[in-house]
Amino acid sequence: MCFWNWLEPMTRYSRINTIWRKELVDTLRDRRTVIAMVLVPLVLYPALMLGSLQAFEVQVANLVTEEYNLAVESEEVKRWLRRLIDSDPARQEETAGKPAEELVEESQAAPELGGEGKKSSLKRTGAQTAKTGVYANPPDYKIWVVPDVGEAVTEAFVHAGVLLEGEPPLPGMTGSTKVLVAYDESDIRSEIAAGGVQGVLDRANLRLLLQRLKEKNLDTAFVQPIARDEWNVATPERMAGAILGMIVPLILIVMTITGAIYPAIDLTAGERERGTLETLMVAPVPTVDLIAGKFIVVTLIGLMSAVLNLLSVGGTIYFGGVGSLFTRGAEFVFPLSALPWILLLLIPLAVMFSALLLAVCSFARSFKEAQNYIVPVMLAGMIPGVVGILPGTRLEGAIMIMPVTNIVVLTRELFLGRFDYVAIFLVVLSTSLYAGAAVAVAAKLFGQEAVLFADSGSVKTVFQRRYFKPRAVPSAAQALLVITLAYSLNFYIQQAIGKSGLSEGLRYLNAVALTIIVVFAVGPWFAARYMRVNATSAFKLAAPDPRGLLAALCFGCSTWILALRWNEIQQRLLPMDSNVARMLEQQFAWLMDIDPLTLVFFLAVVPALCEELFFRGYALSGLRASLGKTGSVVVVAIAFGMAHYSAQRMVTTTALGLLLGLLVVQYRSIWPAMIAHFMHNAISITANHPAGLKPWLTSLGYPDAADASLPGMWVLAAGMLVTIGVLICFVAPRREHPVELPRPQVQTSG
Amino acid sequence: MIRIEGLTKVFPNPDGSEKTAVDRVSFQVEPGEIYGLLGPNGAGKTTTLRMISGLLRPSAGRVFLNGDDVTDEPETVKHRIGYLTSNTGLYARLTPREMLEYFATLYGLSKPRAKSRIAELVEWLGMDDFLALRCGALSTGQKQRTNIARALIANPTILIMDEPTLGLDVLSNRLILEMIRTQAEAGKAVLLSTHALDEIETLCRRMGLIHNGRLIAEGDLDALRERTGRQRLSDVFLELVGADDQVFTD
Repeated sequence: MCFWNWLEPMTRYSRINTIWRKELVDTLRDRRTVIAMVLVPLVLYPALMLGSLQAFEVQVANLVTEEYNLAVESEEVKRWLRRLIDSDPARQEETAGKPAEELVEESQAAPELGGEGKKSSLKRTGAQTAKTGVYANPPDYKIWVVPDVGEAVTEAFVHAGVLLEGEPPLPGMTGSTKVLVAYDESDIRSEIAAGGVQGVLDRANLRLLLQRLKEKNLDTAFVQPIARDEWNVATPERMAGAILGMIVPLILIVMTITGAIYPAIDLTAGERERGTLETLMVAPVPTVDLIAGKFIVVTLIGLMSAVLNLLSVGGTIYFGGVGSLFTRGAEFVFPLSALPWILLLLIPLAVMFSALLLAVCSFARSFKEAQNYIVPVMLAGMIPGVVGILPGTRLEGAIMIMPVTNIVVLTRELFLGRFDYVAIFLVVLSTSLYAGAAVAVAAKLFGQEAVLFADSGSVKTVFQRRYFKPRAVPSAAQALLVITLAYSLNFYIQQAIGKSGLSEGLRYLNAVALTIIVVFAVGPWFAARYMRVNATSAFKLAAPDPRGLLAALCFGCSTWILALRWNEIQQRLLPMDSNVARMLEQQFAWLMDIDPLTLVFFLAVVPALCEELFFRGYALSGLRASLGKTGSVVVVAIAFGMAHYSAQRMVTTTALGLLLGLLVVQYRSIWPAMIAHFMHNAISITANHPAGLKPWLTSLGYPDAADASLPGMWVLAAGMLVTIGVLICFVAPRREHPVELPRPQVQTSG
Repeated sequence: MIRIEGLTKVFPNPDGSEKTAVDRVSFQVEPGEIYGLLGPNGAGKTTTLRMISGLLRPSAGRVFLNGDDVTDEPETVKHRIGYLTSNTGLYARLTPREMLEYFATLYGLSKPRAKSRIAELVEWLGMDDFLALRCGALSTGQKQRTNIARALIANPTILIMDEPTLGLDVLSNRLILEMIRTQAEAGKAVLLSTHALDEIETLCRRMGLIHNGRLIAEGDLDALRERTGRQRLSDVFLELVGADDQVFTD
């Protein structure tokens, strides 16, 4: 009797359904998930928010009820100041609590003259609130007569000092006396003391002014030709939206990730570590279905976590009265109409992050390893998120399809009551596409044999040289480490050069070339030595193949034209910032004063040698085994593009990186790539140099004017040359020395 | 029935070289037979078993289970395999019952079938006491019973066991061996990889010896004894492995 006759055909749908439900039960029973998902939003938020609110109020209350010490230089000033403080309208018993300006206005119908008004600002600390509060309601003061007021304030014997240049101004006098309030801005108490005194002085000034005007029978309008006032058209709902739009998107991103982290690790690397993955993979279930089931659970948990957070933040603001704090006492109306849309947006966001986390965790062999991989994912999610938070970022152009940023900006727009349906559609669509790509990557990584069964090594072997086995090429981890080190080193040296004031001339070129040599050649060479990697094979120093050189020549004499053409198109589509443009113009100007051969040495020879050694040599060799031919070339090209720290040149440098990478993987030698890189840089620099190739190129039809377009024939010819080069690479790659790994193929016997 | 032909697995090393973990291995396990796979650590036993169960793709060669190729029809073939190793884990936060129900569904059993099959296995393995506890709280023996039940849930015709008794106490050990014997008597093809020579001696009639990825000796236990002129299996083993090493150093 065959048992499998019982078995019923199982549809993919029911299989995935079974998997995700089991994973959900399993995940919800995990205490860590529950803590991250439920406890943090429901308990921590309200506690944190209300706690800080109380601390805020206590701080304000303490600061304004304290007695402050003032220093003056004579008894006469002391008496005068005492009288001013005691007769200040804000300090009169029966009127206490009302701002002094209002009192003056009420009694004498005087306009508000000068002084710090009642402007609200979005975020204030308790100390700041206290500081502006005392202007209208000064605290109690004790006044001391000291020989040196400045010293008394500096040495913090008193909180503030008052110095007069002239007679103490009194009713009936006509002149003006300068009154100096000395305070220490680095001390909040000193600031508060000074703020209160300033309020007292301004109100006294106003009273004296009104008296003088009355004596001369003049209207207040006489001294105030322009009566400035402000009119804020934002509704309370909109004001609340503006504030929420800054806080909520980041909370949602962080919380979606936080909620999804544990299930993502647990269901992939965790399962592998506990040995349940092998059992699962033996079951008659396709890997794609497994990852789909897991993905649904991670997304659900991420989503639940984000929704709980949203509700908790909303609830805390709504019920905890935190809202009116943001608006400085003004009415706070929660923009409820935005909520359904934001919840809808959360779905693609959660889908994208879950897929990304799953992809990253699928790569990890253990829980710990996965946790290490996740930190960069969090940062990668936060950086575009912060870009979106910047007040100037608007939902237009490329921002609409920029992952994470678009959701952050759209959430803010929704909070502000702006519903652009096209934008919503684009944001949801692009985010869904990214999510789909991430799911595909996750599925591919999850089923990989090497990830499934390889054992992870000991930590010690990672750092000490004696544990390193001599290797032909660096490992992926070593390559990534060296890339990271080189990037940060490069960044700091560039910053240091910028700080030193060097920005042009031969000395600047020297500094840049030296940086390139140290960062991209000497550094990796030492790294290779330390990690016992064979330099010849890691840096691909083998002799070049003639076909590779031919392809390199094709690229070398054509890519600069395509780069120029692309820059023209880019400038039309996405014009660069005028400041950047001015900077580039200046740079061009001083470069043209330098001898072309010198320029070629600094800007073509040095970068071609060093950058190729690093990118197409060390980095590509290291990433080749784990990312495959295409993957490693693409990743290294993007790294190369980013290393130029220029958004304008990102596309062209990355594209050049792809071609150079192609040369190296097809011919297993760095030299063709160096030659092509050298030619590209050298021609690009000297093509517009009057003492360089310019006269010769102009005679061939190259445009003389700097802003003229390249002739179509040139672009066409360049395009053809690049195509020929690519064809050579693909049709006639180097075949001997099968160092490259053949992908294991299943052969049929017989 | 298990039939493998010229099974080969080549792993890429991170440094660019490659390593042949399993090199042209061929053998056959008949229904009702317990075939022992013997070999030192790192010989390639586990890799061979993983290829047979469809966890790894062979670099070359083929695996037929009841006549169907594992690579061509992985899902059909996987239904017939019961796979058990010393380190197959359980879901710590699920109970044995939930675990069995989950796998029953994954193997495509209908609800009533799953229910009766689980009841059968629970009774046979004496799992009643701990069926509702979380797997994380079970003793090693209880875990191993759950694992056996999991492997047998779809009543597979082929059993693949990779050192199933490693690290178990005497009682659990006996449970596994008994289970293997019962299953073979029920007509199943059992492939048992182990270090324990006594297990092979008591259970198997035929065995294969893997060393450095190659099947260096294969066949009837008595024939192997005759060939080496040794009576004890450990001596047979050493003789064969030693002879092979000599071939390699020549």
